[in-house]
Amino acid sequence: MNWIAKLAAKAPVPIFIARGPDAPDETDRLHLNPALTIVDTPRAASILLVAGTLPHALKMYLHRLHDQLPHPRATVFWHSSPTEPFSNAVEIAHGDDLASVLLRTRAALLGGERASDADVLPDEPANEWQGVGPHGQGGKGMMGGTPYGRPMAMTDDDIRDGLKLDAYTAEFGPFLPMLPAGMILKLTLQGDIIQDVAVVSPPYEDARKGREIRALLRLLGLPTLANRMLVENAHRDAGFKRLVTLSGVRMAIPPDLGRTHDGSDVRSRFEHLLKDPFSPQKPHLTGLDLGDLLEGREWQEAMLILNSFDNVSLRKICANTRTNADEDSSEQTSGGHENMDHSAHGGH
Amino acid sequence: MMTFALAFAILILVLALGIWFAAVLDGVFSRQLSGHGTVGLLAPFHASAVYLTQQRLRTEAPDQLNWFLSIAGYLSVAATGLAVVPFGPDLAVIGLDTSVVFWGACESLIVVLVFLHGWSPNAPLSLIGAYRYVAIGLPIMLPSMFVLIAVAIPAQSLDLRDIVASQETVWNVIRQPLGLPLFLLLGLSLTLRGPFDYADSDDLAGGTSAEDSGANRAGWQVARLAMLVGFSAVASAAFLGGYLGPVLPGFVWVIIKTLVVMAIVIGLSHLLVRLPVARMLGLIWKILLPISFLDLLWAGLVALA
Repeated sequence: MNWIAKLAAKAPVPIFIARGPDAPDETDRLHLNPALTIVDTPRAASILLVAGTLPHALKMYLHRLHDQLPHPRATVFWHSSPTEPFSNAVEIAHGDDLASVLLRTRAALLGGERASDADVLPDEPANEWQGVGPHGQGGKGMMGGTPYGRPMAMTDDDIRDGLKLDAYTAEFGPFLPMLPAGMILKLTLQGDIIQDVAVVSPPYEDARKGREIRALLRLLGLPTLANRMLVENAHRDAGFKRLVTLSGVRMAIPPDLGRTHDGSDVRSRFEHLLKDPFSPQKPHLTGLDLGDLLEGREWQEAMLILNSFDNVSLRKICANTRTNADEDSSEQTSGGHENMDHSAHGGH
Repeated sequence: MMTFALAFAILILVLALGIWFAAVLDGVFSRQLSGHGTVGLLAPFHASAVYLTQQRLRTEAPDQLNWFLSIAGYLSVAATGLAVVPFGPDLAVIGLDTSVVFWGACESLIVVLVFLHGWSPNAPLSLIGAYRYVAIGLPIMLPSMFVLIAVAIPAQSLDLRDIVASQETVWNVIRQPLGLPLFLLLGLSLTLRGPFDYADSDDLAGGTSAEDSGANRAGWQVARLAMLVGFSAVASAAFLGGYLGPVLPGFVWVIIKTLVVMAIVIGLSHLLVRLPVARMLGLIWKILLPISFLDLLWAGLVALA
């Protein structure tokens, strides 16, 4: 081990968590473990931690996620067994301490005793080059089209102020830390404005205790206060409440954001969660779809809206919303080259 | 030549010490506020060693040159900001008659560099961070320009050395009470922190730095801390009397005051909420900008009296 590796071995292990529907309750509390750093992007992680068993439909996303970790890297399965193609992965056996296994695995990676995981997917474009239009990618002029199956931005009518910006469509999820786990949305964005939304996969059914309030605090730029919610009964602590109030949270959440038919909005749901983080408000959701809630909203606002609902409510809203499959069939009738694989570029 | 060498040595010392101190202080605040975590004096070295052992990943069709330039540029602008700060009478690395204007130019370059950092990886979350940063980074600079003109008035000079000298009797933080608070908000924006972190925030999984790995990630994080040092040193010279102080040598006072400003900025970044972009724009144009006019008017009236 050279001296840099020796120094690195003393740092907390940076892990990225891919969460399955049956991930154990302790997953959130890993934030409290001083031996670990939970990172927001696979690019910063040394170990990919698969917590719980992933549904079959999400396996493909796990493969893509895996290849985005920098070498040297390893995959660890916790409360689940390694599946193909992760034959080389570490499995946490019953009774093993997760943190010490992660530390050992990282030390072995740094020392070279353990080989870094190889790529799961081939390093090549997801689709073949489609030579369409003057520049080969389809679309108009040098814009738009789907070279190699990746849509390029194309100017489109703006829904806010008439300024035509580039519209861009991509899938986001299912492991993005700011979305409820398991949720995949296909979003069309203009800059940071959501122009169109379709559901590829709804979030898991699980009710993780206190997920909503922590997510909202993080989205509002208060990650340290969000982490404090992991401490037992933090919401009953007057000092904590004072800090939340003084931070200006009430001013930050726009009025009527994410309003449902019975008048509940992000502000009222946040206030409710602050009093009782473990029983979120159950607003009336009949006929409400994600398009009503998100279209025309800026990214941070849209994330606030999504995370102000608990998973059960979100699944109801998703059920009312157009799915990716509806959209693909309508595209087929219109013809053209939009109907190619749009996958793999929404990050992780 | 001797004074230049001395000033340069102090600059390197302040920069290195400041980056380390900022990283440790961030840990202290986060521990105090979240109620858990550990604070190690060597932790920043361990964390950066982790990045250096990791591979530098390429995204699909990145703009490699600009990716590198944005990181190198951000670090250089931070060091340049520090270079115009006088460590004693006539002891600045860059002794310039118009150093306040020069710093203003540095501020506006940062918007370009952060945008490039989000642009280069060719990835959606990074680009959203880049767009958003420009929307907020530009208007927040306006109040800062008025605030800096206000501190130039009593000195009757655009030279930071003269501005420090003009605070011999009373510091600008007292003479112009609105100035430092406004300037601190700019500091949060320049260092991509807390309420002004529209570039690298949690809602974008790291935003412009979401795709950074290995040495690039280490470089960008170090550059952000270096920018905090550069900004804090300029703030201490403009508002807290820079090298002025009893007993201790001038450069020690610069270091102490710089560390104090850094601690305030880090504290604010953990404690203040981040508004959605549209609300922040409203706050800047409708409230912060008029307050900065008031600051300038106040400075003018005091100068006439």
